[in-house]
Amino acid sequence: MLELAVDEYVSHAIVLSGWDLAIAAGLVVLAGLISLLLRLGLEGRLAIASLRTVVQLMLLGLVLRFVFDPSAHWLLAVVVAVMLLMASREAVRRSESRFRGLTLLALVSLTLSAMFTTVMVTGVIVGVEPWYEPRYMIPLLGMILGNGLTGVSLCVDTLLTALREKHGHIETDLALGATRWEAARGPLRDAVRRGLIPIINSMSVVGIVSIPGMMTGQILAGADPAEAAKYQIVVMFMISASTSLCCMLMALLIYKRMFNSRHQLRSELIVKAGGS
Amino acid sequence: MLAIENLQIRANPFDGPALIEGLSIKVERYQAVGIVGPSGCGKSTLLRSIAGLIDPVGGEVAIDGRSPMELGYPEFRRRVMLVPQRPTVWDGSVCDNLLRPRSFDAVRHEYTRGGCEAMLGKVGLADKLDASAATLSEGEKQRVCLVRAVLAEPDFLLLDEPTSALDGGSVGWVESLLRQAMSDNDGMGALVATHDRAFAERFCSNVIDLADYMPAGKVVSHA
Repeated sequence: MLELAVDEYVSHAIVLSGWDLAIAAGLVVLAGLISLLLRLGLEGRLAIASLRTVVQLMLLGLVLRFVFDPSAHWLLAVVVAVMLLMASREAVRRSESRFRGLTLLALVSLTLSAMFTTVMVTGVIVGVEPWYEPRYMIPLLGMILGNGLTGVSLCVDTLLTALREKHGHIETDLALGATRWEAARGPLRDAVRRGLIPIINSMSVVGIVSIPGMMTGQILAGADPAEAAKYQIVVMFMISASTSLCCMLMALLIYKRMFNSRHQLRSELIVKAGGS
Repeated sequence: MLAIENLQIRANPFDGPALIEGLSIKVERYQAVGIVGPSGCGKSTLLRSIAGLIDPVGGEVAIDGRSPMELGYPEFRRRVMLVPQRPTVWDGSVCDNLLRPRSFDAVRHEYTRGGCEAMLGKVGLADKLDASAATLSEGEKQRVCLVRAVLAEPDFLLLDEPTSALDGGSVGWVESLLRQAMSDNDGMGALVATHDRAFAERFCSNVIDLADYMPAGKVVSHA
C-alpha cells in the first residue's frame, strides 16, 4: 500500500498570488505580440484559448470544492455519471464509422474498466477511507477516462473501418469455413493494438522524454519527487490496465454485435459518420 | 444432395421488393447446375443465401437432409463452399493463400505444398506458388480462389461468375479443373451462377433461368 507521505511536503508548496497568475498571462501576451509582429494570425485564437483555460479551470476549481465534500454522495454520483457519459460520447464521436447503439457499448466498457481500476487504486493500493473519497476518486477517474477514451476511439475506428472495408476478406474466410471468431480475430487484434499504442508509447518514454503532468503538479505543490514518482508509476499502470481492459471489452462487444450466432457478418449496420 | 426449397430473397433482407421467389433446385454430386440471368437479378445474393452468409427471406437449404443450423454454419460452409465473384486474396504468397483454411481449427484434411503446386499447374499457374498474391492479375486471382476452394474438398461448390475475369484459354483450364474435381471418387457437385449462357449450357447438365423466378414487373439492368 502506498503511504500517504505527501502531506509533510505540502507545507513547502508556494501559494500563487493574483500577480503570479498575471505574470504567467504576460508570457502568453508576449507570444501573442510575436505572432502579431510576424503576422502569423494566431493571436486571436491564442487569446480565446487562454481565456477558455482561465474560465474553465477557475470553474473546475470552484466545482471541485463542492464535489470534494465527502458528505455530498449524490453530487459525486452525478459528477461520475456525467464524466462517464461524456467520455463515452466523445470516444464514439471521434470514430469515422459507427452503428446504432455504439455509444451504449462504449459506456458499458468505459464504466466497467474505469470503475474497476479506480476502485482498485483508491480502495486497495492507496487505501483511501472511504474508497469513494472524491478528492482521490475524481482526479483518478478523470485521468483514466481521458486516456481510455482515446484508446477506445482508436480501437473502435480501426475495427469498424476494417469490418466495412475488409468485408470481402472476412466473408471469404467465413465462406471457407471459418467460425466468426476465426474470421474476426485479425481485425480485432489490430484494433486492440491500435488502441493501446498511445499508452504503450507514453509508458516507454515516461521520465525520459516527458515528465507527466501529475508528477510535475505534485512536485510543484511541494511533494517529495521520489513519492511523486511512486504515485506516477501507479497512475501509469492504472491507465494502461484500464485502457487495455476497456479496448478489449469494447472490441468484444462490437464483435458480438457485428457477428450473429449464424456466423454472419452484419457490416450493413455500420455507417460512415456524416454519411448514410 | 444439395436441396434448395422454395427460396425467397430480397436485395435488402429487412425491406424492399423480392428479387427471387419460389426457387427450388436440387444438385447431386457429380452434377453441375447452372443459374443464368442478367446482372442485377440477384445471382450473387442467391448464392450468399445458399451459403448461409445472409439469411434468405423464406425457404430452406439443406445438404443430405441437414440444414445449416443442424450442421453448424461453419461446417455447412465447408461442405457447401462459395467462391465469390470478386476474387479475394490476402497479403502473402499464393501458397499462403491456398493454405489459409488450414488456420481454422476445424479444418483437418492435409494440404501439401506439392498438392498446391500440382493444382495450380492445372490452371496455368504452376510457377506462381511463391509469387505475391497481391501482384496477380484479376484473372489469376480468380483462378487462385477457385483452386483454394477445390483444394478444400467441399461436397458442393457455389461458383459466382467463375469465368468473369478470365480469357478464353483460362476458361478452358478452369472448366477442366472443375470437371476433374466433379468426376473424382467423392465427386463434387456445383451450382454455377453466370451471365454467360453459353458457358452454362456447355458445362452444366441443367440450366435454370432466374427470370422465371422474378416477381412480375421487376426491372433489371442487362449486362
